[in-house]
Amino acid sequence: MAEAAQREITYVGAIAEGARTILNEQEGAFIAGEDVAGAGGVFGSYRGLLDEFGSDRIVDTPISEEGIVGLGVGAAATGLRPIIDIMFMDFMGECMDEIANQMAKMRYMFGGSAKLPITVVTMSGAGMNMAAQHSQSLEVWLCHLPGLKVVTPATPYDAKGMLIAAARDDNPVFVVMNKLSLRNQGPVPEEAYEVPIGAAEVVRAGDDLTFVSYSRMVSEAVKAAEALSADGIEAEVIDLKSLQPMDTDTVIESVQKTHRAVVVHEAVRFAGLGGEIAAQIQELAFDDLDAPVARVGAPFSPVPFSSVLEQTYLPNADKIAAEARQLLGM
Amino acid sequence: MDQPTDEVLLDIHRRMVRIRVFETEAGRMAEAGKIPGALHLYVGEEAVAAGVMAHLSDDDWITSTHRGHGHLIAKGGEFDRMFAELFGRATGYCRGKGGSMHISNMDLGMLGANGIVGAGPPIAVGAAFSTKFRNTDRVAVSFFGDGASNEGSFHEAANMAALYKLPAIFVCENNGYGEYTPQANHQAIVDVADRASGYGMPGVIVDGMDAVAVYEAAGAAIERARSGDGPTLLECKTYRFFDHVGVRGMGLSYRTDEELEEWQKRDPIHMFEARLDELGVLSRDDAAKIHEGVLEEVRAGIEFAESSPLPDPETLLEDVYA
Amino acid sequence: MRQGRTDTGTHLGVIGLVANPASGKDVRRVTARASVFDNQEKSAMVRRCLVGIRAFASAPIRYMPDPHHVARSAVDELRLAAEPLDIAIDANVGDTVRAARELRGAAAVIVLGGDGTNRAFAKGWLDAPLIALSTGTNNAFPTMQEATTAGAAAGVLATRELPLAAVARQAKAIHVDIDGEDPDLALIDAVFTRDRFVGARALDDPSRLVAAFLTRADPAGVGMTSVGGFVHPLSAAEDAALTVEFDASAPHGVNAALAPGRFERIGISKLRLLNFDDAIRWTGPGALAFDGERERILKVGQTATLTAARDGPWVVDVAKVLSHAVCRRPFTNA
Repeated sequence: MAEAAQREITYVGAIAEGARTILNEQEGAFIAGEDVAGAGGVFGSYRGLLDEFGSDRIVDTPISEEGIVGLGVGAAATGLRPIIDIMFMDFMGECMDEIANQMAKMRYMFGGSAKLPITVVTMSGAGMNMAAQHSQSLEVWLCHLPGLKVVTPATPYDAKGMLIAAARDDNPVFVVMNKLSLRNQGPVPEEAYEVPIGAAEVVRAGDDLTFVSYSRMVSEAVKAAEALSADGIEAEVIDLKSLQPMDTDTVIESVQKTHRAVVVHEAVRFAGLGGEIAAQIQELAFDDLDAPVARVGAPFSPVPFSSVLEQTYLPNADKIAAEARQLLGM
Repeated sequence: MDQPTDEVLLDIHRRMVRIRVFETEAGRMAEAGKIPGALHLYVGEEAVAAGVMAHLSDDDWITSTHRGHGHLIAKGGEFDRMFAELFGRATGYCRGKGGSMHISNMDLGMLGANGIVGAGPPIAVGAAFSTKFRNTDRVAVSFFGDGASNEGSFHEAANMAALYKLPAIFVCENNGYGEYTPQANHQAIVDVADRASGYGMPGVIVDGMDAVAVYEAAGAAIERARSGDGPTLLECKTYRFFDHVGVRGMGLSYRTDEELEEWQKRDPIHMFEARLDELGVLSRDDAAKIHEGVLEEVRAGIEFAESSPLPDPETLLEDVYA
Repeated sequence: MRQGRTDTGTHLGVIGLVANPASGKDVRRVTARASVFDNQEKSAMVRRCLVGIRAFASAPIRYMPDPHHVARSAVDELRLAAEPLDIAIDANVGDTVRAARELRGAAAVIVLGGDGTNRAFAKGWLDAPLIALSTGTNNAFPTMQEATTAGAAAGVLATRELPLAAVARQAKAIHVDIDGEDPDLALIDAVFTRDRFVGARALDDPSRLVAAFLTRADPAGVGMTSVGGFVHPLSAAEDAALTVEFDASAPHGVNAALAPGRFERIGISKLRLLNFDDAIRWTGPGALAFDGERERILKVGQTATLTAARDGPWVVDVAKVLSHAVCRRPFTNA
């Protein structure tokens, strides 16, 4: 990423570029979802693609999540490479059978004879006063299902590169974006490239503790690390990028160096992915730990509407820094 | 509507007999404790699978149900690999990972039996989307029951298929029961076909015990799909001669023996064979020989399964991902 | 509901209601885009009939029960004291035949269905006073008319104050004797085809037609009556029948509406007008279709003998009933 082009575009623009790349290189690729064509996606993720690729390949669907995902499963199993858009991750409740019982398992149940090159793009995250049914971070639902891959690009560069990697993968891959990241600018090369699925990245080096995070919380963890730096504490920040498969090696290497870890995610802390990461760290690096693995996540509450409540709910740099100080006994 | 030629009649007959004999013997094997897990048998409903599948080739797709053996057999499934799968052997169609409820064969265009009631129609819509996307004249047929017609998935799929004018055929095998619940207790309508007009497609009812009726109606629906005119809902009134799970047909508390006996008088294979004999297309003796021949094949399939290796535990994690 | 009733109900005739739940859903919905008629609409029609009946008479109402509760749901909704007929219900055509037998002697019967339903009814009671309401596009015998006023006409007939002959016309019927089997019946047409199976029942392949026997040949109709109608129109009133022989390679032919939404060229080799005494014979193998649907199989060498007679249902003219009634007793509110 260091040698990336100078050009900067938004995260949402990067999604469109990634999609365009795939549509150009794969004859069997199409995008289907609610308002993806005429409206270009409610977040603007697919703006311009309808004119470029036509309504056979950019397909507006009824508001029928189970039907949409089922269409994707059937199309993928019969040789196409669908990109399915589920507008808000919260709507997975409407299509969980097709995700959990069909998409995730079809290949295994059929003894390996089926291939499901399907990509599902969806939006997670709070902070826009969208309240309890349009703000959740439910990635752990997906990570619990063998057969699925789950990636969570945090930057425009990753949004494009991971969407391309996902769409080129022969497995079902969920690309879970974050709504608050959509307007972020960042360097994005014009050419096609992949950000590999299953590789974490150390986005800030440090020796005193490790923040393990993903999605939008990576930038909050970086801010927290900068705040701690003023106190002479250097935190390493790892962006997992891919939750399933997860690059545990990068995490363990870091913890072996820093001896302390704080897992940070926006999802509800209880039974969140932090529990799994903490367990893995203690299984693989128990002797290296100088303190219990700490976790920062949302409280056990639905996402509230009113800004003051929502901001209280959301993890942020201050809360992450506070957790780190406590871990360090400061 | 095409009237079936002698060749087609014999083909339909053979498909039905293959299902009947396979299922009957599979039931025996399950009762003998040789087939583990749940077995949903298709006996009584053979005319539907045979009448529809006689129009399809390996390139046409189908989605099936938990009662899926009949669909796979009618689509060309081979007994040895089917029994091997039911027996949980490495040589099964799914290498012992699917079993009865997920038995499939992608090469035959069979997108799996499905343990989730109503999960198939959206997948069939995807397969139909696929064939239309590639400008082929292939179709996708989704088999499902009266019970599944109450699942939201069916309604979403029906709407989308009609909206996109996809080459999909929704074949409702209305056997009068959703598992153990009679239709009158699970929906306020009796004709699932009535639902079709709500989605903008024709809905047709045929006698699901009459293979030629199914063949003719399915032919019309498939021709409509192939010519780009969109989906059809074809409701076949049929009956399950065995229980929801396993074999026991008589003495069940949720339906009467008289009801079963009435339907058995209209056994799809018996009625068909009587007419084939009358027409001089297939004599009683020749029909009996076909049953015997199929039984031999079934026995060979069972033998193949029993002598096949169990899956290597090392394969447990294979094929979770491609 | 009290709106100028014509009677108190003490000596009123029975009104029968037969709504066939299975009509209007056969394969012609796909092959010819025939109309779809769901059971909600049939039930709504029954309800409208009932309202019409009750507007003018408190006559006893007996209806055919069915597993779909097409009639019962309307009766229940209106909380009317209408009784189901005490017949066995097998959810097949036999139900209608049994209902007709049970209704013999009724003052009027409203039948909701297509040609097949009316034919089944006629098998149970041949010369019934019928108000035949069509539930689809593919029908020659029943007509499309509003159920509310049809119900009112039935209510008027229940008073037995109008002679049936003044407001109804007896239809012709085709009697079919089949060697060694039960005889059969058709109201509009009987067709002999080369089909080997009854199958999905619809008649849609002109190349398999052998011959037809018609009581009515109406160019404005749909089905075999249209075929005959384009060759030699024959009205319901004429005391005659028409027989047509088909040959796809014949130089003469007609372009006729073989099904709703479908015109087909049909080659015709022979045509004959018949008197009621004339019989024609068809010899198997083949299939016999009655009033538009394949119904019976003729085995090799088996013959069917067909004759026509004016002994069919009394087809009630709703407009005539109501206008007669108006003349006799203005429907002023009580």
